[in-house]
Amino acid sequence: MRSRSILKAVIAGGAAMALLAGCSSGGSTENGGDSPSSGKQVTLNVWTFGGMGLDELFTKYQSENPNITLKLTNAGGSDEQAQALTTALAGGKGPDVAAIEVGYMSQFKAQPQNFVDLRTLGSDDIQDTFLDWRWEQGVAADGAVVGIPTDVGGLAMAYRTDLFEVAGLPTDREEVSALWPTWEDFITVGNQYTEATGKGMVDNATNSVYNAVVRQGDQMYYGDGPDDLVYDTNPQVREAFDLALGSLELSSNTGSFSEEWNAGMNNGDFAVLAAPAWMMTYISQQAPDTNGKWDIAAVPGGVGNWGGSQLTIPANSEHPQEAFDFMSWLMAPEQQLEVFQAHGNFPSTPELYETPDIQEFSSEFFNSAPVGPIFAKSTEGIKPIYEGPQQRIIDTAIQNVIGQVENGEESAEGAWERAMADVETAIQ
Amino acid sequence: MTLPTSVSPKEESKSGAMSSRSKRRRIRSASRADAIAPYAYIAPFFIIFGIFGLFPTIFTFYVALFDWNPIGGQTFIGFDNFTQLYGDPRFWNALRNTFSMWILSTVPQLTFALFLAQLLNNIRLKFANFFRMSMLIPYITSVVATTIVFASLFGREYGLINFFLGIFGVGNIDFTANTLASHILVATMVMWRWFGYNTLIYLAALQAIPKDVYEAAAIDGAGGFKQFFFVTIPSLRPVIIFTVIVSTIGGLQIFTEPLLLSSPGLTGGAGRQFQTLTLFLYEQGFGNFEFGYGSAIGVVLFLLIVVFSIINFFLSRRIASDD
Repeated sequence: MRSRSILKAVIAGGAAMALLAGCSSGGSTENGGDSPSSGKQVTLNVWTFGGMGLDELFTKYQSENPNITLKLTNAGGSDEQAQALTTALAGGKGPDVAAIEVGYMSQFKAQPQNFVDLRTLGSDDIQDTFLDWRWEQGVAADGAVVGIPTDVGGLAMAYRTDLFEVAGLPTDREEVSALWPTWEDFITVGNQYTEATGKGMVDNATNSVYNAVVRQGDQMYYGDGPDDLVYDTNPQVREAFDLALGSLELSSNTGSFSEEWNAGMNNGDFAVLAAPAWMMTYISQQAPDTNGKWDIAAVPGGVGNWGGSQLTIPANSEHPQEAFDFMSWLMAPEQQLEVFQAHGNFPSTPELYETPDIQEFSSEFFNSAPVGPIFAKSTEGIKPIYEGPQQRIIDTAIQNVIGQVENGEESAEGAWERAMADVETAIQ
Repeated sequence: MTLPTSVSPKEESKSGAMSSRSKRRRIRSASRADAIAPYAYIAPFFIIFGIFGLFPTIFTFYVALFDWNPIGGQTFIGFDNFTQLYGDPRFWNALRNTFSMWILSTVPQLTFALFLAQLLNNIRLKFANFFRMSMLIPYITSVVATTIVFASLFGREYGLINFFLGIFGVGNIDFTANTLASHILVATMVMWRWFGYNTLIYLAALQAIPKDVYEAAAIDGAGGFKQFFFVTIPSLRPVIIFTVIVSTIGGLQIFTEPLLLSSPGLTGGAGRQFQTLTLFLYEQGFGNFEFGYGSAIGVVLFLLIVVFSIINFFLSRRIASDD
């Protein structure tokens, strides 16, 4: 009897302590906006993904603003980030700052009520510092500003000088850029390369050809608004599709970011890949032994853009003003320049483009290519493309058909019809 | 519950009228407590199951009747999701893939587990414990790590499997692009993960079979093979039924391996080669923001699992049930 009552007392005491511990940890500075004595200690939950190159800036901001603590979560990939954000928003919660990749922006900004309209926090003041078409990607149909831009991808072609030499092609970047002013020329050069070396010149036809061409027009899958679907009639889309199918001979069929692709970069399985600014860091990290063997040439068609993201503030954030102040600092021209110099993500603030910091910037890894002016030039003349809510779904469906033909699983005959049927099923 | 009826006369006379009433009250409240106690013991599980298991299932049936954007609005559309599903080629493709991967991963795995358990049951096997424990290591390994390693092994250009196939003159197989090959890849990962679990279950059941049954069979002139088919398997019947049903339920829901192979997309390959029903559900729900459509897929998957579990149950019961 005595041992049983002692046991009960111990269990009761343990439960009480657990309860107390639970209560006290819940009341920490997480909701610090209401503890005036500590100088408004605020913790911001920041969700990013992939290699945005912002880690040093995060440390810097916290040291310059001691009352702000940043809790960082990196989801790894943009898809995982989007899925995590969807789950959080559906449950009525979310971080204070969330980065959303542009491919997903159209889906999220179609439901702008989930995010704070940044115009209420002062976004009008900073709008002019950004590229206008880049800013538009964060604006919802009703004009609400859902997110501010981060970097801009721009587009160029990274190529291996040593492999070009073996194939008997010129290696100087001006000459290489002159080899392919149009995509048809690109295919011709590719065929030459394949004949000379027996290997594919370009990594794949989906990202390096289709993805580049389809964004070079002034419309993509949508016309004027979310109900104006033009994916089947827009000649730019058909042209991109046909060019991609025409590039299959020169493709080494390695999907972007796959194992084969990473290995291929190291082993020289392909010599050319479409390279937005952020790809440079990726290449230098994945294939450090190829240092100095790469160079950057212009992309056929001259202009292009791939990637980028917006920083948003979910509606349930408890510290929207602090979050906005942090975001606008992070994406101010000075900070974007720092990120570019350290990591290669190109600034979306055009006032920097003519400055010596950009104009004289070159990359050692890429044979001292003047990447500053190259990427600045590639963002000039990009027309704002309206991206509707099912943008990504249509893009995936079309690219998958190209991928299937590239894999050899399906024939090129009737591929366009299959793509159109797949898009129709997907957007039902 | 019966109370002891033998009370000595001395105690009975001492108790008196008052205490016999309170004794009856005590007996009644004690028996009521005894009657409630079993329910109280199992209540925590059922409460948690009700909140986290039953309610979401019923809610899924409800959401399936809507056009439900997880971060937007909802509109009631009745059974439209199901009609759309019926005519959707991606659904039938995912269904075929699911069945293919289920059968490819379950049948060889359970057969292999049974033979392996028979081997491990041999008392002359040295280091038996070591084998038994190490078989569980795949089960506790992170699925992500497993998928990365297997995807690498089965890689098109640099994978070890293709290297060995190349020695025999077979060309490079793209294990994620070719439909059947991708199913074999996923099935291999699932088998590798679960064979230890099933082997140990069979092993435990094997060790429970009394030796005299085997002795009787030996006296009757049955050799090793005959003993296995006519003594071991019938004795293992309940365990086999259990593993078949659990494998059915699990196999029809294969999700993690296709998802990780499919990364960064959610379509299970460019041609949806290895997209299972669960991955299709996830793609629709979280990729395309169509919770209603995803829930409809979930409902259909639920019904499929119930139907096939019942079918497998009756099939397994046909194993020599003469005892």
